[in-house]
Amino acid sequence: MKKKILTAFLSFVFITGLLLAGCSSNSTGENTTSNENDTENANEEQVTINLGYYSGGKSDEKMQELINRFMEQHPNIKVTTQSSPYGQFFQKLDTQIAADEAPDVWLSDGVLVMKYAERGAIKDLTEWINRDLNKEDYYGLESNQDTDGKYWGVPQGIQIGALYYNKDLFDKAGVEYPSEDWTWEDLKEAAAKLTIDASDKKPSEEGFNSENIKQFGLTFFSITEGWFSVLKSYGGGILDESLNNSIINSEENKQAFEWMVDGMSKGIITDPADLNSFQSPMAVFPSGSAAMRIGIYARVLAANEAGLNYDVTVLPKGPDGERFSPVITNSWVINESTSDKKAEAAWEWVKYWSTEDEVQKEWAELGEAVPVKKSVAQSDTFLNSTDKPENKQAFLESFDFAGGLDTNAVWSEWVAKFNEHARRAFLEEQPIEEALENADKDVQKILTDFYNE
Amino acid sequence: MNKRKFFTAKKIGYIILTISALIMVMPFVTALFNSLKTYAEFTAVPPKWIPEVFQWSNYPEVFKLGNFLDYTFNSFIVTGLSVLGAVISCSMVGYAFARLTFPFKNALFVMVLGTMMIPPIVVIIPHFMIFQQMNLLDTLVPLWLLECLAQPFGIFLMRQTFLSIPKDYEESSKLDGCNPFQTYWRIYLPMVKPSLATVAIFTFMTKWNEILAPSIYLTSNEKFTLPIGILSLGGQWFGNEQYMVAAALMSLVPILIVFLFAERYFVQNFSSSGIK
Repeated sequence: MKKKILTAFLSFVFITGLLLAGCSSNSTGENTTSNENDTENANEEQVTINLGYYSGGKSDEKMQELINRFMEQHPNIKVTTQSSPYGQFFQKLDTQIAADEAPDVWLSDGVLVMKYAERGAIKDLTEWINRDLNKEDYYGLESNQDTDGKYWGVPQGIQIGALYYNKDLFDKAGVEYPSEDWTWEDLKEAAAKLTIDASDKKPSEEGFNSENIKQFGLTFFSITEGWFSVLKSYGGGILDESLNNSIINSEENKQAFEWMVDGMSKGIITDPADLNSFQSPMAVFPSGSAAMRIGIYARVLAANEAGLNYDVTVLPKGPDGERFSPVITNSWVINESTSDKKAEAAWEWVKYWSTEDEVQKEWAELGEAVPVKKSVAQSDTFLNSTDKPENKQAFLESFDFAGGLDTNAVWSEWVAKFNEHARRAFLEEQPIEEALENADKDVQKILTDFYNE
Repeated sequence: MNKRKFFTAKKIGYIILTISALIMVMPFVTALFNSLKTYAEFTAVPPKWIPEVFQWSNYPEVFKLGNFLDYTFNSFIVTGLSVLGAVISCSMVGYAFARLTFPFKNALFVMVLGTMMIPPIVVIIPHFMIFQQMNLLDTLVPLWLLECLAQPFGIFLMRQTFLSIPKDYEESSKLDGCNPFQTYWRIYLPMVKPSLATVAIFTFMTKWNEILAPSIYLTSNEKFTLPIGILSLGGQWFGNEQYMVAAALMSLVPILIVFLFAERYFVQNFSSSGIK
């Protein structure tokens, strides 16, 4: 009797396996790229492309809607999709690229485009961009350009840094709102007046405890929304123009670090240890625990959701009047190993996304990114939407002094290494000179290991 | 006097137990309250423990944001088949290593143990390619099939258990006319139920919470398992954390139910042993 049960179970397992496998081969046909039977149906001309993107809660629905509309307009192109949560998407993508199973066209985080480009995973789009896009019409196209001038992706949405400030906290402290003429020193001065410790004392008062802060003047976090724009506006930086050499160990960087470390030791700016007591480093500003932050455009989502009374302005100037605003352009990239026919269909999708005003407008309404098309970014849809912040113009003004994050094939690696050393300086575990020297050595090693092989 | 002392000791015992119970329960209570907050309350510093207005709507909102019924169903299929597969395959292989004689038995066993040292991330690309060849990507099969092929930890555990049972059983069953399979199935297997339960619990927990494999193999939303479904509530820029907490709490309910029912069964089995 028991033997029968076992036999029955085993057969069940195998039959279910076979059944699921059977069902799946139908659905994989729809969902993956390698299926060669795309043209098996009546319509000989039809091309099926697989599109990969990372899903983001509410934006999923809009993406599907835009894809459906694209298919209506292009009856010969069928789009199948695959999506994953943000973090998992890129983990999977690496596996898929290794197995030659990656989507025909995918949405890449702006900072990762060069990683794929320099490893030969995505197509050079220079020719098509020159042919079909009027470069003057777009923001951020150049951020996907390598040092040889080749384009590797087309922007899907733009993130650009600005200075966020909490109006209520400024009003309460009687401090004037940040102006466009501020230098980083001005910012620190104002930030000092906006810093409050646990016993409600300000830095200027006696008995102020910089170790136990209730409200910070400025919150500060990692590269994009932290040290990068400060270094740049002080005239420093991380990599030279070739993006193959470190320029970390410089006098300018030292000055910038002195500004940051001084602010952190006084409790005005959040140091890496302070950030640990929050839900996430991104939550400090929305929770009203900091009067200012360096933030990319997408941070309006959390600030609005938290119901903050805030606005934005351009980032402050360095001591010599230089300014810098970091840009990340999430971009559409096309798989290098996909067939020509599919690549062309994928290009149609990219073109549809960037040239159609309607698409740009509807995506802009989600409030996740600055539209790539200038005409839409400068229209009422973006600038005068009812949502805060009021001064959205500041994001557009920032394009005048915007720049990339020195993204190259080993970006994630060198950023992690630099953060490690910067952290030691920020927490005053190591003198600034020493931290910069070590960071320089380690970052250079990462670059040499990759580029000289 | 002695009696009084005893009661004081008991009281202190209860107080300690109550305090530790409260400590254990705290994270759950915090999560429950967090799931009922608005985003502003969720990020507030200092944290507000109890939300001003309970946002019960967070729970239906989760269902609007993702196909949670699908995710739960998928998770059940994956975990259910994995547990059944693991229990049967591990006990069979473990029995073979413990009781049967065949060439290179010990060398093979060492090899099995050796595979425990390989981190899962290393084999993910070869696995991915194998399942790609089998046309099984974006299905649930890769998630449970491997468990049906006996995993090393389970094999090891079952082998040790079978070894601890006296050989006399095997001999007497042989005398009574059992073949090796019958000896395994009728005599030995009922005696190792506690170990089977351990394998089952381990497999259940790993599979229910697994993130890496589903995120690699699954591409369409309707095939997602619960952990991936929960993660996909957050975007690149904005977390929707209060919804994620609500979803995570809901994903606990099935586990709780399984444990409530299974616990009684597991405890029963520990007391029913065949040794006289």
